[in-house]
Amino acid sequence: MPGMNTGLNANDPAVIAAFKAVLLHQGLIALLIFGTLGLAWVSIRAWLPAAASDGPGTKTGTPAPAVAEPAWRLLLRTGFGILWLLDGILQAQPQMAIGLPSQVIEPTAVSSPPWVQHVVNWAGTSWSYHPLQAGAAAVWIQAGIGIWMHAAVRGPLSRLAGLASAAWGLVVWVFGESFGGIFAPGLTWLFGAPGAVLIYVVAGALIALPERAWRTRRLGWLTVAGFGVFLTGMAVLQAWPGRGFWQGTAHGQPGTLAGMTQSMAPTPQPHFLSAWVSAFTAFDQAHGFAVNLFAVVGLAVIGALFLSGQPRLIRPAVIAFTVLCLADWVLIEDIGAFGGLGTDPNSMIPMALLAAAGYLALTRAPAPAAEPASPAVPAGGWASRLRAAAAPRSLAAASIRSVAAAWAIGLIILGAAPMAAAQANPVADPILAQAIGGSSAPANYPAPPFSLTDQHGRNVTLASLHGKVALLTFLDDTCTTTCPLEAQEFRLAGQLLGTQARHVELVAINANPVDYQLGYIRAFDRQERLGGIPNWLYLTGSPAQLRPVWARYGVTAQILPAGSMIGHSEIAFVIDQNGHVRQEMNFDPGPGTAATQSSFAAELADAARQLLGRP
Amino acid sequence: MNRQIHRALALTAVVAGAMLAAGCGTAVPPASRQSTRAAPPTPSLDTSLVTAAGTWAVAVMGGSAARHNNFWQLFIRPGGSTRWKLVTPPGTADNGGLVLAAAGQSLITAFRPSQNLTFTPLTETRTAGQAWSALSPVGAAMASAPDALAMDPASGRLLAVLASGTVTQAAPGYSTWTTLTSRRFLAATPPGRHCGLQALTAASFTWSRTPLLGGTCARPGTAGIFADAHGTWQAAGPAIPAPLARQDITVLRLTRTAQQTVALLTAGSGSATSLVTAWSADNCAHWTLSPPFPLHGAALTSASFGADGTAAVVLTGDQGETITGPGQRWRKLPVLPPGTATLAAGPQGAISALAVHRTRLTIWQAFPGRATWTKAQSISVPIQFESSS
Repeated sequence: MPGMNTGLNANDPAVIAAFKAVLLHQGLIALLIFGTLGLAWVSIRAWLPAAASDGPGTKTGTPAPAVAEPAWRLLLRTGFGILWLLDGILQAQPQMAIGLPSQVIEPTAVSSPPWVQHVVNWAGTSWSYHPLQAGAAAVWIQAGIGIWMHAAVRGPLSRLAGLASAAWGLVVWVFGESFGGIFAPGLTWLFGAPGAVLIYVVAGALIALPERAWRTRRLGWLTVAGFGVFLTGMAVLQAWPGRGFWQGTAHGQPGTLAGMTQSMAPTPQPHFLSAWVSAFTAFDQAHGFAVNLFAVVGLAVIGALFLSGQPRLIRPAVIAFTVLCLADWVLIEDIGAFGGLGTDPNSMIPMALLAAAGYLALTRAPAPAAEPASPAVPAGGWASRLRAAAAPRSLAAASIRSVAAAWAIGLIILGAAPMAAAQANPVADPILAQAIGGSSAPANYPAPPFSLTDQHGRNVTLASLHGKVALLTFLDDTCTTTCPLEAQEFRLAGQLLGTQARHVELVAINANPVDYQLGYIRAFDRQERLGGIPNWLYLTGSPAQLRPVWARYGVTAQILPAGSMIGHSEIAFVIDQNGHVRQEMNFDPGPGTAATQSSFAAELADAARQLLGRP
Repeated sequence: MNRQIHRALALTAVVAGAMLAAGCGTAVPPASRQSTRAAPPTPSLDTSLVTAAGTWAVAVMGGSAARHNNFWQLFIRPGGSTRWKLVTPPGTADNGGLVLAAAGQSLITAFRPSQNLTFTPLTETRTAGQAWSALSPVGAAMASAPDALAMDPASGRLLAVLASGTVTQAAPGYSTWTTLTSRRFLAATPPGRHCGLQALTAASFTWSRTPLLGGTCARPGTAGIFADAHGTWQAAGPAIPAPLARQDITVLRLTRTAQQTVALLTAGSGSATSLVTAWSADNCAHWTLSPPFPLHGAALTSASFGADGTAAVVLTGDQGETITGPGQRWRKLPVLPPGTATLAAGPQGAISALAVHRTRLTIWQAFPGRATWTKAQSISVPIQFESSS
């Protein structure tokens, strides 16, 4: 899929070190915010004991409960809060910054229709431009939502936490899970349909409901019946012939289910888990029909029991469903987090949680309150709380949970703000270039001289560039792969320099001893739209003139046989105003996505700015 | 509760139906579109030609699913020799294909661009491939056709058909390419309108140095060959005989041999396609046509010509056919060796089959009257896989 694969190894040490540094840096800021908030709260409570003794909640938006939080909501809030926290921790895996687009997003989208791939590719490409900020944002946003859901028990803050969970879940479901794969062929409950995060969205929406919605069994009935409809539909889909689930093996190949689990078993994971998955694979290969029959009947019966509306029937159904979910989670989903770069524990745990919550809502709905619950908004209204004079009093009266919730919101902003700022920048993070080409080597030696001809037929020497910074590289004018991309990196570097570009020469020396004529230089310039750039110089000469220049700069240009292009070094030199080489950069953009191109350009422009002095 | 159950069951049915529609639907191919003209067959760049320097052959090698790992190779059997040798011009990636134009001792090779390259490098040898010198490139992609490049032996002038449909020309020195015409322009001329010109597929010169262009006509029974008579384009194709007069005609090949101009035409479409060879020895004033050779659903994979105008074609299913000239009939060759890329005229009436298996070229020979192929030579080509990735 275009744009997603920068060609970088997810284990690239430069990116991993930078990602850890970003997380550490932002983590320290998070702690600082926490400390400041906590200190302010303690100090103000000591300073305004009267306000503090008003008791937590009365004026803070977390009113004292008139009706205890129902069990189903407590289960959803704490359960999904833990899941978000876990997801945040998984997002902090060192490989996540580079690996998420190519190892998580792209594989999930690959079997979806083109329009889904288009939507998902947009997000993956955006991530790949700024992997550090995006990776860190995902950590803090998900951890923040998790903490927020735990901290805010009731009131608007708690409902907002549910809403945040639903909103972020929707983002992850669309862009990270490709709509849970519901538009791809092979949809099955066994593999996680309709996507784990869609369950987070539903749970978040339920948490966001106002308290009056808690007081009837209707919510429980709707949840359980919704599950019944879903599971019945999934049973029909599971029973549908021709999808490979009825066969353990077919034509010597594993069936759909066995093929899936077979691919999971060898991935890095605890041995016992791998052994269980392998054993299940073998069992399914031997008894594919029976396994699928069990799945079909199980889903259909549980779905029907959910639809019955009878608590005495729903109870065993919930227990059976939970067991089925756990079995699927271990034997088929491989606990979600294994089998690759795991971002969440997959769909079975959230699904079991939601089903259990639905049952609790159906059977343990609290009696309607005799009087309305305490107002969510304080007597003075939100406007009064926002007044500066009222703020210390409000803080003093806030509960420790409210302070924690505020901190969690701060965490989310801490992650989202740098990512939003980064997304506004169309130039990729220079870390990509450094990861591909290695850190540029600082140098300080006289640049080797040259005397060659530019695209206009004029003689250009190193001395003629004196007084300007020169970004110099070697390009093959009939190269079909990376040289055109490298030329674009130079072109973009010139654009990034803005008005400073007039003090910089963008110089390329031909690296082709066969196609060295001016006609090729000019054709290359036309192809790359470099003709109108005033500080672009593409220099060439006869092979006898070019070879000594290559040798002096340590560049090789090898004629390969049998229709191959010239094999040559890909290196860029940053030459200062006095003709001294100040940096050497490995310059191969790899697969050459737009992200990596702009990343190299940013690195080149930064190097030139350092010599010019930043404006 | 019963009402709830009924509602739930109804909802179940709707959702299940929707899921089945989404997850279990059988993929149905899009309805075939009505077209006034089926896409004409595209001749492969695998071919051979005979010049004063020897017999040249082009074949794609590598055998990779990834196009950037397939490289086109040029071979020559020098005049007077029985051995082929690899003479692929060095220094330029040729994954996009090689197109040849020859005159006398000179052979010019065009490298069709691939991947990020958009113009067409050119190189020339006058030493039977021993040494090459780069010529100024054509500023755009050349058409993917074996006759997209032509050279006039007398003047050295070059004609190039571009992928865009423009035809450019350059005088010796080849530093400046100028537009001669374009498909759009030619289609607006009287012969172009009569033909309903759809695409340009080939360029050549007559013996009187007149540029010739071949193409695909929308009008049935019209062979789209045009000659540039002092700035005016005129129809120069053969009259199509009555049995083929209702067939769509495409000029697949148009070239000049030692004595005459030769064109390879297809008539009809689909399984009813036939091949017809046309020869002209008087600057396209008169043509002689071969009997039509019905392909019976086979596809043409290579066509080449000998110095005497002999046409040899490779068809799918390891079939090969030749026809030696006007008044002759198509002759079926013994079943071709597997992987045959192209056929080349050999000494003493023999035919050479150049068969490719990944990096190895095997040359087989069949002599007139023999029913088998004899292995003559094998060449291992040092392909640099991944050098264009």
